[in-house]
Amino acid sequence: MTTLDTAFVTDEGSRPLPSPLLERWPEHPSGLRQQLNLTRELAITAFKLKYAGSALGYVWSLAKPLMLYGMMYLVFAIFLLRGKTTPLENFPAQLLVGIVIWFFFNEATHAALTSVASNADMLRKAYFPRWILVVAAIASSTMTLAINMSLILVLGFAFHWYHVGWQSLLIVPLLVEMCLLTLGVGLFLAAIYTYYRDLGHIWDVLLQFLFYASAVIFPFKLIPLRFQSLIALNPTAQIIEDARRALVSPVLPWSTTVLHARVVVPLALVVLSLAAGAWVFSRLGAHFGERL
Amino acid sequence: MSEPVISVDHVSKRFRVPLDHGHTLQYRFSHPVSSSRYRELQAVNDVSFDIGEGDFIGITGPNGCGKSTLLKMISRIFAPDTGSVMVRGRVSPFIELGVGFKGELSARENVFLAGAVLGLTRAQLATKLDDVLEFAELTEFADQKLKNFSSGMSARLAFSVAMLADADVLLLDEVLAVGDARFREKCLNVFDYYKQEKRTVVLVSHDLATLELYCDRVLLMQRGHLIADGLPQDVTAQYRRLVSKMSETGRGSPASGSGPLARKVTATTRRWGTREVEITDVRLLDDNGNERDSFLTGEPLVVQVDYKSNGLNGRFTCSVGFGRSSVPLLAAPRTSWAPDPLPPVRSGAAGTVTYRLPAVGFLGASYLLSVSLYDERNNHMYDAIQNVMEFRVTDVRGRVGWLALDGEWSHKQAGAGTLDDSGAVA
Repeated sequence: MTTLDTAFVTDEGSRPLPSPLLERWPEHPSGLRQQLNLTRELAITAFKLKYAGSALGYVWSLAKPLMLYGMMYLVFAIFLLRGKTTPLENFPAQLLVGIVIWFFFNEATHAALTSVASNADMLRKAYFPRWILVVAAIASSTMTLAINMSLILVLGFAFHWYHVGWQSLLIVPLLVEMCLLTLGVGLFLAAIYTYYRDLGHIWDVLLQFLFYASAVIFPFKLIPLRFQSLIALNPTAQIIEDARRALVSPVLPWSTTVLHARVVVPLALVVLSLAAGAWVFSRLGAHFGERL
Repeated sequence: MSEPVISVDHVSKRFRVPLDHGHTLQYRFSHPVSSSRYRELQAVNDVSFDIGEGDFIGITGPNGCGKSTLLKMISRIFAPDTGSVMVRGRVSPFIELGVGFKGELSARENVFLAGAVLGLTRAQLATKLDDVLEFAELTEFADQKLKNFSSGMSARLAFSVAMLADADVLLLDEVLAVGDARFREKCLNVFDYYKQEKRTVVLVSHDLATLELYCDRVLLMQRGHLIADGLPQDVTAQYRRLVSKMSETGRGSPASGSGPLARKVTATTRRWGTREVEITDVRLLDDNGNERDSFLTGEPLVVQVDYKSNGLNGRFTCSVGFGRSSVPLLAAPRTSWAPDPLPPVRSGAAGTVTYRLPAVGFLGASYLLSVSLYDERNNHMYDAIQNVMEFRVTDVRGRVGWLALDGEWSHKQAGAGTLDDSGAVA
């Protein structure tokens, strides 16, 4: 090599920063804080984008389940189930609580299902823990749930739809249980969907089946007695029924009344879904980048 | 070298590229046994290297050579099949620009989103938002949706956000293929700064000039293998030879030439043109007509180009180019700049064009000669042979540089009193 090639690489002394953007940060947030911060940003973004471009915007997050409710109310409470429920059971309020919770499960699992695949671009160009995508998708649906739940609680208390007591506070742990179930199912769905896109169609059908198996649109007592304890093992049915008992009417049964000791089964299923979802997701997660 | 910052140890990565719809269960069910409908692609094959703290490393190679896959394994986006990758310190989480950008969001919102991917909180980003928009020259577009930006505008925004990554190790994949020349200049200033700050940078790029300018060391990949690892000038020269060799096998032999030309071609020789007039031989001579491949600075040098017209009836121009492997053209004298044009030729005719330098002005180094024939207006290429031959120039005075300029020094001292040769005051 000639001396020339290195001759001009001399120390030019320290130059000023080309831009204040390059200043080093005095400290960095911890890893977990960074991850939660990214999760929050992604969740807020997803929430904003869901209604971007529509004239009514966020109003739709409220209007959609309410319109669904109006339709179901007309069909079931007024036409089909007329005379099959007592005023004390307050079926219209049961329907309202059921639909809001179900709407969340439906929307959140759908969002989680596509959360990894629809962010393929980001995933192939940046490293961050992949679960953030699933949690952000579910968190964004949780925002909708929070808005809807607040609305029906405020309206319900104002118009005395509910039977309020200490037991009403149980709605909080029940919603937490719902979110955990959704997270477990969502992690599983997101991981498998990355490999097999058929899951989108399969999940549509399964959701429809679960919808009926959760007694959303009819009172639980209409299920034949010998099937009641079987249906109640399904965590979505258990959560919706207990939420109704907590909020709506004292004549409804708790899941413990139907299941007795077997009430651990839906709870165990929630834990199992979390464990299985997390396991599958972590097993497949390392290869998402090259699969998409 | 102290403990490496990045250590890549016998890393391999194989991709299974499905040949058909392996993504659906229908395929799985209808082809239960044939699980081998894949094309195996060995993207990275047993690659090992270490990178020390403060090194500015380039990775280059032809398309599909595995350089981006390698970078993605360093950044943990891909997991290696075998081998291990170890990185110390804070690594910038994204390797390309504009990660996480959403067209439906405003520039401002996109800064917060992409900043979050970098691991920065909303509060941190809020303190830098104005600087980001200012550097990107987008202050007045802060609330405009990104989808209404031109690609250059979003690239500028993306680069500005990426600068916030306060990382010890920066991994960058072709980040300079963006923006206009002026913005590119700003980006290069940032590279200067990283280099001066002794940050560890791994830059994947095709832009050999940038690699030569910034890198301390360049890795060359080909078909998944690491085939060279060394000083930038040496490795980029090898890459240029590789590319010209690949284009030879791809298009027959562009540097063809039967006859006297064949023996002269170098590894980097490339040839283009329609050949209405064809170069049949090129000679480097001294004033006595002897062929030479080395000269002393200041000696006369003669280039002779033999040509033959294969159908051209009219005028053409001839140009000879002198360059180095890192600087393609140092000088390119051509007949169209001369007082008299070349006389018109008739199809079938042959002749010789001569260019004489009374004194070689180059200093000690290797130089490459290129020769080309154009039409009269210099916009149609009849025949051009790049790097047709290499020659050495030796400067007996050992001067540094490439060109001996004919400048004159002079000196004038203010005030009285000069020293004579013996050192006494005159």
